[in-house]
Amino acid sequence: MRAKCILAGALMLMASGAVAQEPKRGGTLVMGQSVPTSIFNNAIASGTGVMVPGAQLFASPLMHDENWNPKPYLAESWEISPDALSVTLHLRKDALFHDGKPITSEDVAFSILTIRDNHPFNTMLRPVDGVDTPDAHTAVIRLKSPHPAILYAMGPPLMPILPKHVYGDGKPIKQHPNNARDVVGSGPFKLVDVKPGDQFVLERFDKFFLPGKPYLDRIIVKTYPDSQTSILEFEAGRLHIQPFFNRVLELERAKGNAQLGVTNKGYEAVGGINWLLFNNKKKPFDDIRVRQAIAYAIDKNFIVKALHKGLSKAATGPIHSGFPQYSPDVSTYPYDLKKAEELLEAAGLKKGADGIRLKVTCDYYPGDEDGQKRLAEYMKPALKRVGIDVEVRAPADFAAWAKRMAEKDFDISMDAAFAWGDPVIGVNRTYLSSNIRPLVFTNNAQYANPKVDELLAAAEREPDTAKRKAIYVEFQKIVTADVPLYWLTELPYHTIYSKKVQNVPTTIWGTASPMMDVWLSE
Amino acid sequence: MSAHGTSPPAPQALSPTREAIAMFVRRRAAIAGLVLLALIVGVSLIGPVVYDADPFDIAAAPLTPPGTSEAWLGSDQQGRDVLTGLVYGGRATLAVGATAAGIAVLIGVTIGALAGFFGGIVDEMLMRVAEFFQVLPALLFAMVLATLFSPSLIVIALAIGVVSWPPTARLTRAEFLKLRELDFVAAERVIGASTGRILWKVILPNALPPLIVSATFAIGTAILFEASLSFLGLGDPNRMSWGLMIGSGRSYMLTCWWAVTFPGLMIFLTVLAISLIGDGLNDALNPKLRERR
Repeated sequence: MRAKCILAGALMLMASGAVAQEPKRGGTLVMGQSVPTSIFNNAIASGTGVMVPGAQLFASPLMHDENWNPKPYLAESWEISPDALSVTLHLRKDALFHDGKPITSEDVAFSILTIRDNHPFNTMLRPVDGVDTPDAHTAVIRLKSPHPAILYAMGPPLMPILPKHVYGDGKPIKQHPNNARDVVGSGPFKLVDVKPGDQFVLERFDKFFLPGKPYLDRIIVKTYPDSQTSILEFEAGRLHIQPFFNRVLELERAKGNAQLGVTNKGYEAVGGINWLLFNNKKKPFDDIRVRQAIAYAIDKNFIVKALHKGLSKAATGPIHSGFPQYSPDVSTYPYDLKKAEELLEAAGLKKGADGIRLKVTCDYYPGDEDGQKRLAEYMKPALKRVGIDVEVRAPADFAAWAKRMAEKDFDISMDAAFAWGDPVIGVNRTYLSSNIRPLVFTNNAQYANPKVDELLAAAEREPDTAKRKAIYVEFQKIVTADVPLYWLTELPYHTIYSKKVQNVPTTIWGTASPMMDVWLSE
Repeated sequence: MSAHGTSPPAPQALSPTREAIAMFVRRRAAIAGLVLLALIVGVSLIGPVVYDADPFDIAAAPLTPPGTSEAWLGSDQQGRDVLTGLVYGGRATLAVGATAAGIAVLIGVTIGALAGFFGGIVDEMLMRVAEFFQVLPALLFAMVLATLFSPSLIVIALAIGVVSWPPTARLTRAEFLKLRELDFVAAERVIGASTGRILWKVILPNALPPLIVSATFAIGTAILFEASLSFLGLGDPNRMSWGLMIGSGRSYMLTCWWAVTFPGLMIFLTVLAISLIGDGLNDALNPKLRERR
């Protein structure tokens, strides 16, 4: 009965929201985040803690809608040459930086080269040879080879346009004093106050180039490392929106609150997947039968339905189902203990007197309780059923886990990565044999398949969308058959918001794109 | 130096012991504590033998509330049965408590005895070491140790033991300082007993009563310590313990009270039982109280 009332209330609220209300100017939005922001310059850093504020502070050449279509932003229009080796951007002529100076093609050229040379996603702009500036409002990006991913690399979280007269003053960009405070941006909001580790305040930039935008006067971003605190703040009405929320229990609780909305829209381009990593170079995981057996022994349905309460989605392969390149035509490993045991027997792993055939350690990346720690803990009872004794190795901190991954000092480990708009940016790195490096978030399975290397190299430069998708379809088929790692779920990211918040960002980038259409109703 | 108020080593050792037992038995609270502890230890030792189950196994749907046939006391967020956890987790919790207390008493008594008996520079140096450990915030230090070495039961027991010996050392030192001047010790010296014999065979037995009481309390403290470390996420994730149950259920407390309440209750009852026994022992072994009756 009560549930019905809440449902009815929610429907009414939704209906009232659906009636095209006139957006109201003004108001202060309070936004929560789980990781503190230490720098605001997303030209040189990745992670949600910098990409979300970065997209508010800096404009990018393009934006994207909910269906992956590029849209004009700082570039009014753009063309790709027939040979796909150059991209011409026609910039808006009225755009200003926060210090009142005009945004010109010089700034765009400077920003693109800065990102190419300093951003952690080193494949993102690697083919960029240079940027020509025939006039103040035209920038031509020259490419060494066709680079279709650039349409997404020019999006808000990835390509902030920085003022050359501030960030190009010769000081090293990674240590630049204006990265952490006194940011001079080009986006709809400017940074006015920073309390490091606690909160920062963004204020409407009155001379923003899109007339009437943004609607909000102010965004206060507060850090809540603990998701329970976030929920209590939401319930007290002190918090309006929190993106990248992935705690199952608190999401459930928010869903039961008529004042709050919960959506998983806005994370398609983020494309986060978590998986079980096998050390493919270490016995017995070099044997494909052992990897397959472990895959068969894992009940993804239990993970999604019981552990994640239906808030996540089972992953089928290396590419997130929200991506245009996604293919469901892959090898799958439905839960089958008998098959798992047969494969292990065939691989020569016989059960001992205690019913144990193999002892392994399982690490996990700390910081994502539901996506990582609980799944690592799930491996213990799950694999015990096929005679594998799992010892969960709790990492002391991120650095401790990262070191184990870098040194390949592990048997199996939980792991995750974001794709960020295009497989070239965030997927290829996990499977390319050239990316087996002593570093976290590289090809730590040490997977090497020449055919896969070849396909990924071809996909990187294939300008034709359909042909490119075909390459990725084949890639997904091969990799899922090889199981160098086993994909468990798409990360259950959600945005929790107060029903007062209108136009909650739901494009493929979600809140990692400018929140200039967001407004507050009373 | 006078010896009034302290009895020389008893010629018939049985009589005071018997008297102490009689004294202890008269304390109802102490007996209740003893029965309770015996029950808890009994279940922890025999339970896993009789009741064969894997405490990490998925026994029911996650977050099943208590009162269903597959999980009498409910299941936690991973679907693990809380009752199985309680039965299996007792061993680890009690073992860590006892081991840590043992380590603390061993270090404490050794250092305290040497410092109290030899005095002078030895005393100065050993007490400075003790002070060093005493000024460190114990929980923080134990956290550092548990973090440095990946948390296993042994590391946790060691970490707790290493941070909690100074009070025992101070108590032992005080006892030794007092006893070494007494006539019966002097008598041993005169007949040429070795230092070792005087330390461990003559003084230590007479210093034991307060040490036994303090060791009892140390077990209770160590169990609480283990729970605190686990609560902070520094427990051994591969050995079921009551502390681990509380630690992993902590973030689900608002919706899943049973996963933390029952192990919490077990820790509470165990520490209560140990404290009651400690109080009873204190009364029974205190000669001044004994004389009053």
